[in-house]
Amino acid sequence: MKQDFRMTYPLWNMAFILILAVMAVGFTSSFVNVTKTDSSLSIQAQALEGFLLFAALIAYLVLITIYLIALSSYNRKNPDKKISPFSMRPPEYMEQDEGMTFITRKAVQKVYTFITWTLPFFALIVMLFPIPRLFIVWGILAVAFGQNLIYYLEMRRQLKGATE
Amino acid sequence: MLSNRVKELRARYGFTQSELGKQVDVTRQTIAFIEKGEFSPSITLALKLAKVLKVEVGDLFWLEEE
Repeated sequence: MKQDFRMTYPLWNMAFILILAVMAVGFTSSFVNVTKTDSSLSIQAQALEGFLLFAALIAYLVLITIYLIALSSYNRKNPDKKISPFSMRPPEYMEQDEGMTFITRKAVQKVYTFITWTLPFFALIVMLFPIPRLFIVWGILAVAFGQNLIYYLEMRRQLKGATE
Repeated sequence: MLSNRVKELRARYGFTQSELGKQVDVTRQTIAFIEKGEFSPSITLALKLAKVLKVEVGDLFWLEEE
C-alpha cells in the first residue's frame, strides 16, 4: 500500500500548495505590475518579489516534471489502476473494495468537517478586518493544505492499524 | 457490535490476510479491518468469507450485546 501513488497523492498536493504560497508573494505584491495586451503579458517586479516569483515558477516546473515522471512510472507498473493527471475526481480516493471505501469515507468526512468550519470562519475574518490580499491568498492555500494534511494523516492512521 | 471468527478460522486454514483477501476479491487491509471489528462487511462479502472458511455465516459473524 505504501507504493500506491494514491496514498502519497495528498503530499504532492501539499508541495504544490507550498510553492503556490511562495508564488503568491510575487503575484500579490504591490511592487509587481502586470500589463496585459491583446498579444502579450508583461510582468514587472521588484528584486525580492521578482526573485520569489521566478524561483517559485522554476520550483513548480521542476516539481511538476518529477510528479509526471513518478505518475507515468506508477501507471506503467499498475496498468489496471492507472491514474489520470487530468481527472476531475481526486485520485487519492482509495475505493478498490468496500473496506478501502469505508476508510476513504471516514477520511473525507473529517475533511468535510474541517472545510465546513474553516471556510465560513475565514470569510468572516476577511469581512471584518482589512486583510492584505496576500494574506487572503495564504489563508485559502492554508485551508487547501489543511484538507490534504487531514486526509493524508487519517488514511495513514487507518492503514497503519491494518497490519497483519 | 459485530463480532467474528475470521482471524481464528483464517489461522486454522493457514491463510495469510493477503491470501484470504485474494480468494474473496478484497485487499489485505479490508481483511484486517474485519478481523479487528472496525468494519462490518456487506452480506456479499460475509457470504464469500463464510464459503472460503467453510462455515455458516451465522457461525462466522454474530451480534454481541454492547
